[in-house]
Amino acid sequence: MISSAGDPDRLCRTRRRLVLALFAAIAIALHAIEFLLPSPTPWFRLGVANLVALLALFLIDGRAAWSVNLTRIIAGALLLGSFLSPRFFLSLSGGIVATLAMTGSRRLAGERIGPVGVSVLGAVGHTLGQFVCVWFVLIRHDGLWSLLPLLVLFSVGAGLFNGLVASYLIDSLQGHPVFTKAQGDGE
Amino acid sequence: MAVTRLWARLTRLDRAIVLSLLGLCLVGMLRTRSTGPGDWLIVERSGDIVFRARLGSDQSARLSGPIGETLLIVQDGRVRVESSPCRDKVCIGMGEIRFPGELLACVPNRILITIPGVRPEGEVGYDLLSR
Repeated sequence: MISSAGDPDRLCRTRRRLVLALFAAIAIALHAIEFLLPSPTPWFRLGVANLVALLALFLIDGRAAWSVNLTRIIAGALLLGSFLSPRFFLSLSGGIVATLAMTGSRRLAGERIGPVGVSVLGAVGHTLGQFVCVWFVLIRHDGLWSLLPLLVLFSVGAGLFNGLVASYLIDSLQGHPVFTKAQGDGE
Repeated sequence: MAVTRLWARLTRLDRAIVLSLLGLCLVGMLRTRSTGPGDWLIVERSGDIVFRARLGSDQSARLSGPIGETLLIVQDGRVRVESSPCRDKVCIGMGEIRFPGELLACVPNRILITIPGVRPEGEVGYDLLSR
């Protein structure tokens, strides 16, 4: 079958791929910039790159959020030179649990949950994922547990910030033809 | 004003999630503090337990490490490092500890002083798998 740019199916898929590539690129850039910024502690980062996954989840679908986050983590690690280092596995475990929490909560709660709720759950999921990774791979010390409430508190704060930014961005981007047409065609 | 406008962007479920997580954090933080002072202290050097003592009885201990002797003082149920051969004296600067989960560490001298959680006889709770 000959397909051209006029083929609506193909156009749809191409559009989706382009949007995802753009999103992944923005996420990787944010990831790298955040890595370069000085941080008060190695534990505390805002995780602005997750914002892009939030946009993907709300404007496109859950699969898009997965592709953005996984691409970002792997390509980001390659870019920063931390691929397959302990840092990478921390980032990966956090990212997987975070994305699971975000897509899962959106699927379960649907329209009742907004960007802020999803973002907060994702941020807390990221912390928990990292915590489990630290616990099993790096340090197994009881003192770590007393650190957990503080870490979760920080991540709720970070999640709130990201979620609010995302909710403004979603409001202004929603209804853009690129997203309405990239939707529904799961690739 | 600005806060209420931001708050209005949250759905009811969002608010429930945020508030319940904040509540959980608060409970968690209070719990770690309310366990009361610990009963035991253990000293590890390069991963091996080299010294154990009750916090109830005042005493001092000299712990030898790779770069010299670290003097440990137990007084009124609190532990502190009195003197250390290391350069930066971070271990002395860490002050006193008394609650389970707290620790003092002298990295140059490879000494780690911890107060374990409430377990009988200060045994470390490793299981077969984690060992």
